[in-house]
Amino acid sequence: MLAFTIRRIIGMFAVLFAVSVLVFIVFVLVPGGDPAERMAGKNPSQQNIVNIRKKWGFDRPIYVQYVRMMQKAGNGFLPGKHGEYDILRSFDTRTDVAAEIKKGIPATFSLCIGAGVIWLFFGILVGVLSAITAGRWSDRLITGFALVGVSMPVAWLAIVLRYFLAEKPNNPVFPDGGYVGLTTDPVQWANHLIMPWFVLSVIFIGFYGRVLRSNMLDAMNEDYVRTAKAKGLSPRRVLLKHVLRNSMIPIVSLFGLDFAAVLGGGAILTETVFELRGVGWYAAQSVGNLDLPPIMGVTLYGAFFIVVFSAIVDFIYVFLDPRIRPA
Amino acid sequence: MIRKRQWTWVASVAGLAAAVSLMAVAFGVSANRSNAAPQHSHAVGTLRAVLDTVDFLDPQQAYTGQAWWAMWDVYETLITYRHVDGGAGYKLVPGLARSLPTVSANGLTYKFKLRKGLRYSDGSKVKASDFKYTIKRGFLATGQGVGFYTGIVGAEEFQKNLTGDIPGIKTNNARRTITIKLTKRRGDFLTILALIFAAPVPTGTPSAIQNGTIPSTGPYRIINYDPSRGFSMVRNTHFKPTKYIPRGNPNRVDVTFNGDANAAVQKVIDGQADYTNAAIPPDRIANARSRGQLKLRAAANTYYFWMNTTQAPFDKLQVRKAVNMAIDRQAMVTLVWGGLGRPTQNVLPPTYPSYKKLTLYSRNVSKATQMITAAGARGAHVTVWTRAVDDAVTAGQYYTSVLNDIGLNARLTILPRSTYYSTIGNENTHAQTGWARWLEDYPHPLDWFDVLLNGNRITAQDNNNYAWFNNKKINKEIEALKKEPNLTPAVNARWTKVEKEIMQQAPWAPWSNRVFPEFFTKQMGCIHMQALYGFDLSRVCRK
Amino acid sequence: MAEHAVDPSLDTPALLAAEEHEVAIVGRSPWYLAWRRLRRNYVALVAFAVFCLIVLACAFAPVYAHHVAHTGPNDTHVAETVKVGGKEKVVIGGGAVYDPKTNTFDTSKSIIVLGPTWWHAHGRFVLGADNLGRDAAVRMLYGGRNSLIIGIGSAFICSVIAVILALLAGYYGGWVDWVISRFFDLIWAFPVLLLAIALGSALSVNGFHHFGIHIEPGSLWIPVLVISYVLIPYIGRPVRGQVLSLRQKEFVEAAVGQGAGPIRIMFSDLLPNVASTILVFFTLIVATDILTEAGLSYLGAGVRLPDASWGNLIASGQQQIHTAPWLAVAPGIAIVLTVLSLNIFGDGLRDALDPRAKVRIEH
Repeated sequence: MLAFTIRRIIGMFAVLFAVSVLVFIVFVLVPGGDPAERMAGKNPSQQNIVNIRKKWGFDRPIYVQYVRMMQKAGNGFLPGKHGEYDILRSFDTRTDVAAEIKKGIPATFSLCIGAGVIWLFFGILVGVLSAITAGRWSDRLITGFALVGVSMPVAWLAIVLRYFLAEKPNNPVFPDGGYVGLTTDPVQWANHLIMPWFVLSVIFIGFYGRVLRSNMLDAMNEDYVRTAKAKGLSPRRVLLKHVLRNSMIPIVSLFGLDFAAVLGGGAILTETVFELRGVGWYAAQSVGNLDLPPIMGVTLYGAFFIVVFSAIVDFIYVFLDPRIRPA
Repeated sequence: MIRKRQWTWVASVAGLAAAVSLMAVAFGVSANRSNAAPQHSHAVGTLRAVLDTVDFLDPQQAYTGQAWWAMWDVYETLITYRHVDGGAGYKLVPGLARSLPTVSANGLTYKFKLRKGLRYSDGSKVKASDFKYTIKRGFLATGQGVGFYTGIVGAEEFQKNLTGDIPGIKTNNARRTITIKLTKRRGDFLTILALIFAAPVPTGTPSAIQNGTIPSTGPYRIINYDPSRGFSMVRNTHFKPTKYIPRGNPNRVDVTFNGDANAAVQKVIDGQADYTNAAIPPDRIANARSRGQLKLRAAANTYYFWMNTTQAPFDKLQVRKAVNMAIDRQAMVTLVWGGLGRPTQNVLPPTYPSYKKLTLYSRNVSKATQMITAAGARGAHVTVWTRAVDDAVTAGQYYTSVLNDIGLNARLTILPRSTYYSTIGNENTHAQTGWARWLEDYPHPLDWFDVLLNGNRITAQDNNNYAWFNNKKINKEIEALKKEPNLTPAVNARWTKVEKEIMQQAPWAPWSNRVFPEFFTKQMGCIHMQALYGFDLSRVCRK
Repeated sequence: MAEHAVDPSLDTPALLAAEEHEVAIVGRSPWYLAWRRLRRNYVALVAFAVFCLIVLACAFAPVYAHHVAHTGPNDTHVAETVKVGGKEKVVIGGGAVYDPKTNTFDTSKSIIVLGPTWWHAHGRFVLGADNLGRDAAVRMLYGGRNSLIIGIGSAFICSVIAVILALLAGYYGGWVDWVISRFFDLIWAFPVLLLAIALGSALSVNGFHHFGIHIEPGSLWIPVLVISYVLIPYIGRPVRGQVLSLRQKEFVEAAVGQGAGPIRIMFSDLLPNVASTILVFFTLIVATDILTEAGLSYLGAGVRLPDASWGNLIASGQQQIHTAPWLAVAPGIAIVLTVLSLNIFGDGLRDALDPRAKVRIEH
């Protein structure tokens, strides 16, 4: 068990390292993106450009720049006071990347935790209902709705909802985008998040519902279920205690990864359309601007979540299913 | 029967889910209703503005019109512009200085004297030596405007070593005097001194970017700057109004950033903001006008397509002329600005006294196609560059389709806003043609011809002469005109001639002078436009 | 008793009758049986027909553009007029008007873009014009063409690469498996959309000119390769899992014992048994790819303007949503129809190939 844990942790760091190298290489290959020139602005002198290069270390070899950038990333995320050029700074605004990410966390967490609760609850509901009534019209109806939900492009759904419910009508049902802090005004906080929660959940609910449905149908045909029923257990008890519990295992792993992905700034489209200036929004802005330090910061932040949650999910799997325990 | 129990269970759970959803919607409706009620406002208490973006709020760094709009009332310069409407707003008047400087006969020495009792917003005294520190700071901070000040004696040396003194600036704190010595005469030096790059800051201000935290000398100071969200301006209690710099009506200015023009306009229509500088989407102009106040500001600007005279096929004069004859300038104005602009074939906008309307190229698509074929450029591969801002993308797409119509094989490349200029200004890109615009930094033809079309000022990186236009005769004339201290009618006539000669060489295809929309709610009054800085926030009031 | 409502089995009445009358039973391959099951699933067949119709319509985009609408997808018609039902309408009209005498602008009119003509203009501007005076219907079809090429192309490439990697990992095991699994982890750890945007943006400026490969910026290869790369683990992991479990089975041991080489085993023994998994995943991947491309192009990192794709049509249309909402809504509906039909067909395919639903998406 210990060896497994250690291997897992080493694997995590290896993946984070590889991700950072990948990002760095992608953006070093972009020509015309010389950061010194872009920082020097519209009317610079050549000496100015040289000075910028020296100050930021662009005149050093590639691998030195990479190491330096990783140092800066580490400094930014850890507490303590650091020199001006010892943390990740955006090439465009020269602001502290770690600070900007922290500012985006409330919006992203509010969006993702709320949506996560909703999609997990409704996903399980949809899955259970359609599994119980398998083959009948209610199953087809529910599956139909779920499929439609899964087939909608996120950005489009967000735009359509925002326009028809928040912009067009004279007395709009919902506010027109933006994020209000939970501590500032809880009522408005929820009010501004209802549409984003809905949009983000819709795409997952159908998917989770279908996965759960097929797993439950499988489980319901297994021998142990037949045995339980033969023993005289009520159908509901069979359902809840045996079938559902065993069908939930893949759902747990799916949820862990999906939740980690959106928490780490993956809900880019939802945050962009609804103007929730969270981590995903910040990520989209920086990538659109080809601004390497924020991209590196956001990528490491997101990869960290995915890697950690993936490990957590693996550990939960091990506990849930004794057969999987490593020898 | 199991089925019945199953159904009741199913129905109850579904019913619960439906009830919860309905409650959420009802909650949303009620919460939104109460939020939509209009707020009561007191006399000009707070001006709520929505800007698309600001690059920096550090006087030695900022180089956008939006940043200067705010900082004009925050960081005062030695000399400044008047808070009046119309052309009189171009007149230079004393700012922190007591009066306009005395200039030596040879035009190389400028002498200022500061006003008495000047203080920063943190209470400390404004010293003459702060001005020298400010110029140094520009170089130390690798600010965007340093190119303007390398003409001061010793400045280039300082820029190389980044230590030592700038002997060209001598100050005396006891007598509050500042003496600046130049290496060469410059007719536009006064206007350069009025740029916010030269706004004095306390000696010892760190050279790292200080967005809004530097103590101010103007009627307001900046607080709470967040680069993604906005900033605020509150009163500077140590400011004393002068004849030329008013106290300012609003007690506070709250600025939020929003790059989506539709959203910004909507906020003003809904009354959640008082003002926005967003480009009104062309299909909502009338709607905006009826739901608020749409003011138009004619700033000095030109939008154009440059053609790199060193890159095929634009190295041929016939090709460049053909392009000028192919674009439908009026259609572009309709398309891109919704009609809020005027077509042009000039380099300078009509605000300049030397301006004489040029009509060298009348629209003739078939002739243009012939000229392209005759020049052997038919089917030539062309990459059109533009930046990822709505109006530039629209203009770029239209321009690409026109180039394809006359027989070139054009393709569009869209670059991010922040890397656009440095990419097309880098000679290694070999950019052939693309979108550009110029907003005047200060009202002098040199700001246009010297920066954008003087072959002697072409640089390998961050070049501003995107056409790589290098005509020896015209270069010589521009250098000669640089030495002229004043824009007399004779000097202006020479500028007119230079402009015509340049457009006969067609390094550009200029297409419009834009009129900037400034959108207000119906409750705002006393709306004044300053020629250089736009909407004058210090004079606004409520009706 | 909770049973499958429809459980197609081998014991049809015909077969039982044949047994009784001692008629020889003809053995059928699992593929034939799957096809028979699929044939009976009318909903899935209709969905597939809808999908094929959409593909055909988009494939014929140039025909439509040339013969019906008489314009190309990037041709602007700003100042032209079109005869709509007898009346002359200008494609883009209105806008502020400058009065030189007073040096002011009359802002009482916004620009009005030609709305849908619904065939009253003989096939021109059926869905109206967009903000640059281009034919929206033509752009929809060309956009669909690009979106479908990217969706299907990237799914194909992704599947091929993922299956090869999965076969290698499952067959060889050991350190080969470890390396390939970590490779899957690496791609998976990177937030998918972010990686796609990063690659798409980075490559869009100058294209890719390394290692002897030359891809121009603006080429459709860029979104195709980016999306296929990003979704490799999606197929790779489940297939690897299946191959791993198959590897232990006796028939594979037998083949190894007979001296069969790895390639023969991978392609003759392992591959056919995961084929149904791959097939089902393929339809799902096409659907996912179309949605991913829409998201990428919406953010500007996929198909580059002025070329159309359903995703960037939504982004362009969004700017006019207040006056011409159909420009943003229509491409989205097209995507929903396409992806939905694929999903329904994919479901039906899975039911037919594997009625016991052994195939599920796992990670």
